Amino acid sequence: MMKDISIGRYVQGNSVLHRLDPRVKVFLFILYMVTIFLANRPIAMVATFAVVLLLALLSKIPVVEVLRSVRPIVFIMVFIFVINIFTIRSGETIFSWWIFTVTMGGLQKAVLMAFRLLLLILATSLLLSLTTTPLKLSDALESLGSPLKVLHVPVNEMAMTISIALRFIPTLVEETDKIMKAQSSRGAEYDTGNIFQRAKGYVAVLVPLFVSAFKRAEELAVAMDARCYQGGVGKTKLHPLRMKGSDYMWMAILSVTAFIPLAVDFLWNMK
Amino acid sequence: MNPATKDISEYSQSVKAEALVFSYPTNAGTNVVAVDHASFSVNKGEYVAVLGRNGSGKSTLAKMIDLLEFPDEGALSVFELDSSAEENFWSIRSHCGMVFQNPDNQIVGTTVEEDVAFGPENLSVPLPELAQRVEKALGYVGLLEMAERQPSSLSGGQKQKLAIAGVLAMQPQLLILDESTSMLDPKARDEFLQLVGRMRHDKGITVIHITHDMHEAFLADRVLVLEHGKIRLNGTPPEVFSQVEVIRELGLELPKWAELLCEVARIYGIEPEKSAFLSEDCAKEKIRSILQMKLPEGVEREALPSHTVSDQVMLRVSNLSYSYDKKGKKTISDISFDVKKGEIVAVIGHSGSGKTTLISQLNGILRPLEGMVEVWDEEEKKYISTEKNTDIKRIRKHVGLLFQYPEYQLFEETVEKDIKFGPKKMGYDDATCDSLMRKSLPLVGLSEEVLSRSPFELSGGQKRRVAFAGILSMNPDVLILDEPAAGLDPAGQKEIFGYIETLRDQGKSIVLVSHDMDEAARIADRILVLKKGEQKFFGTPDKLFATEHEYLSMRLDCPCLIKTMEDLAKDRPEVDPLVFDVREAAQALVFGNKGPKEVDAL
Repeated sequence: MMKDISIGRYVQGNSVLHRLDPRVKVFLFILYMVTIFLANRPIAMVATFAVVLLLALLSKIPVVEVLRSVRPIVFIMVFIFVINIFTIRSGETIFSWWIFTVTMGGLQKAVLMAFRLLLLILATSLLLSLTTTPLKLSDALESLGSPLKVLHVPVNEMAMTISIALRFIPTLVEETDKIMKAQSSRGAEYDTGNIFQRAKGYVAVLVPLFVSAFKRAEELAVAMDARCYQGGVGKTKLHPLRMKGSDYMWMAILSVTAFIPLAVDFLWNMK
Repeated sequence: MNPATKDISEYSQSVKAEALVFSYPTNAGTNVVAVDHASFSVNKGEYVAVLGRNGSGKSTLAKMIDLLEFPDEGALSVFELDSSAEENFWSIRSHCGMVFQNPDNQIVGTTVEEDVAFGPENLSVPLPELAQRVEKALGYVGLLEMAERQPSSLSGGQKQKLAIAGVLAMQPQLLILDESTSMLDPKARDEFLQLVGRMRHDKGITVIHITHDMHEAFLADRVLVLEHGKIRLNGTPPEVFSQVEVIRELGLELPKWAELLCEVARIYGIEPEKSAFLSEDCAKEKIRSILQMKLPEGVEREALPSHTVSDQVMLRVSNLSYSYDKKGKKTISDISFDVKKGEIVAVIGHSGSGKTTLISQLNGILRPLEGMVEVWDEEEKKYISTEKNTDIKRIRKHVGLLFQYPEYQLFEETVEKDIKFGPKKMGYDDATCDSLMRKSLPLVGLSEEVLSRSPFELSGGQKRRVAFAGILSMNPDVLILDEPAAGLDPAGQKEIFGYIETLRDQGKSIVLVSHDMDEAARIADRILVLKKGEQKFFGTPDKLFATEHEYLSMRLDCPCLIKTMEDLAKDRPEVDPLVFDVREAAQALVFGNKGPKEVDAL
């Protein structure tokens, strides 16, 4: 049923990556991102791939799940590949027909760009979406963003907003289902007619959905007031984020691995 | 330190309100007075029920006590602290807990335990005390095993318990229940009330309970009745409910036993005294003593309205099974029943018994996995089934389905357009749509004045009627109604059931899903009992409740009226206690309702 819908693609588990403090994961994610963009030579890319493979092993997530997270971007990968291969002209020409010319440099660049995107998605999935619950992620962002409070950025409120949004997704999905059934009982159709008729059909769903969402928001605000909510000031936490020894250890180890591709790149250059 | 953790000193009066006034401006530029010079007090440890029609200002009053709204005039002290003094704000609010009507709209946390922690977190309760409070509160309401679950996976009853746990973890002195039980089924409602009773007993918590349920009101030490923001009645339940005329005028109802007492007394032309309303036993005693009296001259058995059911089967369900996932457990299995022209079939069962799944089958929103759903097509003189895609539109023309809380499906700019939505989709021309729309209005007590208004500016009860009219305007032969009166005040409920009876008398066939056993037994010609997706019974109410306590094995509540009648009929062989209507019951007690043969046979 629609109730079981999941947000992101969190896969339950108890691996090293699952247990790692979410702040460390955000930090490592940024580090890997830099590495992926700096690695330029094929050999560095291979090294980066090896590091991502290591993450996959650590996460203990089934290969199928990992591949599933790549699926939505296959189209974009192909698109980037095609654009690059036909537009970049450097080096020896491999193939030429009508207006299409493929060069050695273009091929290299196209493979590199597509591969880079793939690595980026894999790193994001393995570190963040597959092994971290959305709630923990919002906790991490709140904690990492706390220095911004000096600049009067409402960090706590933003985290609260995210977590309430997550909390209400299943409720609103259920409600959408209910309204659609009610409107079909009145003869509304969502699966027939042209695209404009269908879009019009959704007005009958969206208007009540929005009206009810606003009503919910209003009631929730009163309920939060009644439970003494006053923003982040003085608020304690049931599950505060705490760095443990193992968190520091894995942070150190995984940070080092992020530099390996860059070192390989650099050493190759020296030769 | 956080100001919210401030303690309060000893007090004996939880609430003292003097001439409170609260008003708010409307879009039209006028001022609505929600609370009008209300004065009352609530003692420490007391249980006070607040009654009144929808929109009588009950919720506003409750919100003022929790300092969620502030009075325009008057003085309010809570825990003997002046509510207008800023330094008392957190002391008052942090010691008041509130549970609202809609379970979904008061849960903040993404997991059960985080939701319970929300209140104490705001009060700066440090670890490890915070974790202890959460665990204790969850244990108290019986949700400890679900601590890490997502709130959306809980049932309605569990969600309200979660709300109570969230309040408990803040260690309140005063608990305000704002129609907290109105969206629960009878079983969940009982559990919730027991929990509240336990909290009063264990922790001495003061309770203010806003409700439409008269049986709940009888549990209270004292009852306040509001009308247009004014306090009309204030006293113990017997004091309040013995003022029968005023109670009815205020749009409230009496418990069945009190209604029966009034009806019997009416036949004898007397007025029962206050003491008779003290409890059900007192009322029964009084009824017995009235029945001993001599009937006044000229009083005869009154004819009661009756209706006939035709033989034409309009909707036929045979061996219907359905499952949401093909391999999984069946949500409903092997259901067979039929509905005749001019008949009401009530579907009863607890939450999760498959009622919603069943009714979604009846107009083809869901299709059978096994079995058949057939609808009589008057024009073609044959049955059409929900099997074929091409017949679905026809079926929806014949079968109108009104889901629970249908006011949430309104979306057009005007009431007129919204009611016409159905007929238009059915392909009628403009003139026909217009006449169908106009015909549907009086059926639910709407006047043509509302047509040009936006459905969103109407009151809750009016919206419900508009939604109802939106189904009736398609002129269906069969109506499927899912809890059509849920959440309305007693007078509003009575009106809705009145419309249903009129529709039946006009020859509509009606399938009615209801939690209210008394109402279901009274109004239905036949009853279908569902339990965990299985059909436990299908037949007349007489048969269901006559079968020596078979309904008890189905874990159904007995209609309150029958309970009272069974006791009163004990030494009266000429009285059959199986009646479902108060008037009929009174007639039975006074004149007997069994034929002479039946009495002789005993």
